[in-house]
Amino acid sequence: MTAAIEFDSVTKVYRRGLGGQEVPALTHVSFAVNPGEVCAFLGPNGAGKTTSISILMGFHSADSGQARVLGFEPGDVRAKKQIGFVPENFAFYKHLNAVKLLRFHAALAGVPLGEMDVRIADLLSKVKLTGYEKLKIGKYSRGMVQRLGIAQAMLGDPQLLIMDEPTSGLDPAGRKEVRDLIFSLKAEGKTIFLSSHILSEVEQICDKAIIINRGRLVREGTMQNLLTTGDKVEVVVDRVSAELEAKLQEWGATQEQLPSGVKILLPLERKREVVEALWTAGADVISMQPLKSSLEELYMQVVGSENPS
Amino acid sequence: MMLRTIAFNTFGTFLRDKVLIVVAILFTCGLLLMLTPLLGAKAIASMGNAAQAQSMVLGIVSVILIFTSGFGSLLAAWTAADSVATEMKSGTILAVMARPVKRWQFLLGKFLGVMLLMCAYVAMMLVLSYLLALIGGQKIHSAPWIMVLYPLVRYSIYAALAMALVTVMHPVVAWGITAAVAVVVMIVEPTGQPVQNVAWRWIKNVLYTVLPSSGLLSEDRFLAIKEAAIKKTGWLDHVTTLSYGLDYALVLLLIAMWSFHSKSLRRD
Repeated sequence: MTAAIEFDSVTKVYRRGLGGQEVPALTHVSFAVNPGEVCAFLGPNGAGKTTSISILMGFHSADSGQARVLGFEPGDVRAKKQIGFVPENFAFYKHLNAVKLLRFHAALAGVPLGEMDVRIADLLSKVKLTGYEKLKIGKYSRGMVQRLGIAQAMLGDPQLLIMDEPTSGLDPAGRKEVRDLIFSLKAEGKTIFLSSHILSEVEQICDKAIIINRGRLVREGTMQNLLTTGDKVEVVVDRVSAELEAKLQEWGATQEQLPSGVKILLPLERKREVVEALWTAGADVISMQPLKSSLEELYMQVVGSENPS
Repeated sequence: MMLRTIAFNTFGTFLRDKVLIVVAILFTCGLLLMLTPLLGAKAIASMGNAAQAQSMVLGIVSVILIFTSGFGSLLAAWTAADSVATEMKSGTILAVMARPVKRWQFLLGKFLGVMLLMCAYVAMMLVLSYLLALIGGQKIHSAPWIMVLYPLVRYSIYAALAMALVTVMHPVVAWGITAAVAVVVMIVEPTGQPVQNVAWRWIKNVLYTVLPSSGLLSEDRFLAIKEAAIKKTGWLDHVTTLSYGLDYALVLLLIAMWSFHSKSLRRD
């Protein structure tokens, strides 16, 4: 199966100033995103996210290494026909209204003339811009512009959506709408490559995450694998008897009272022993799952330590 | 379809460009100011001393036409440089180039948009020429196609030159260099008088060979009002001269495309 996005040891160095001072933006970055995946691309400002996306889109060329998009060289029109791109801070022609702008992009995307208006109306309704078609985009709020940017990206019914901060500038309701939109695109089998700083959203939406820092890949994996700490299990029971409490302490477990029961964190190797003891003591086990850290915790762990604020 | 879309969008952007609108208004004011002495001279001609006044009228007509023609070259250079630079500055180029558009198609579309604007400008110039000839009590013997094609070819050279330059430098610098080239071209144009200084003669010859000859491509030489001047230029001469100009523009456009092909695209 051809990866939707493939980075193989990609390196990019910017040369700045008259002396050509070298600023490394990406250093031997390698990762792959499979078709149908929703992948988060994370990292602090200046980590190399926008440079990576620019290389993917063919806006910049890599100094070494190889990037492939849908099996083609970045910038290849055959790939671009299947890509929808939402740039960070979507820029537009101020004198146009939403319909005219989308017609312009639809013509470039090769949407047949007969289908254009229907598709535009459908997309405007999807991004909740119906009723604002005739208003010049220059008068739109930032959130409306962002939603229009998402609409233009979906014009050509792309297989791959590359989104650079798609929810920036949106209010909570707008963010939820974009999130729902991404869920529906995921259900349609689209591949989504998403750069974002809103980690709680990413955690909800994405199957996979790639974290880069200072131009280097620092963590990559499925959300499940990344967030599972691996050595602890979380068990929620309705109650814990006093007798059992002592035993739990002995096994190295910790307890936390919840409104609906008691949460017990225990070492993985004691899982069976503890659960059997809980059952025997008449406690009702409500849930049991491997302990997960939040994406924010993981992010701060792998990136925060290198970027002291 | 793609080229047409980009070209018309570029043309539409020009029509709403506030700077261009202000410049066009100032230019029109300048023209109206120039019309004042012209109409005055015309009035004198009708009262007496007709020959002297008529000569004045023709002189003013000639100055106005040179003025509009020169302004056209600067307009072509500015719009060409600005059309590409504005896309980079605003970041609209990122959304456009994310579409299945090749870089050369983008640049060619922009160039065609500039040429659409210049077509509109040439049409206005044509009307103005006939109007001025009418005021001057003369008749333009040159065919209208000459007065359309020649300036268009000349403007295409300056547009392509500015476009090539703007792929590597700031638009104001690109426009400045193009304007400087236009001035140098006029200076090195052969006048028919011998040049005494050997070094200057050599420099003039080299520059005249290398730079586009706007004198050769000028429709002014067909506006000599004297019918005899036109009869000397046959079809082959026209084709050769226009081909020379188009070839020059094409080479510059290809250089622009080559330079733009490897340019990093980002919001400036």
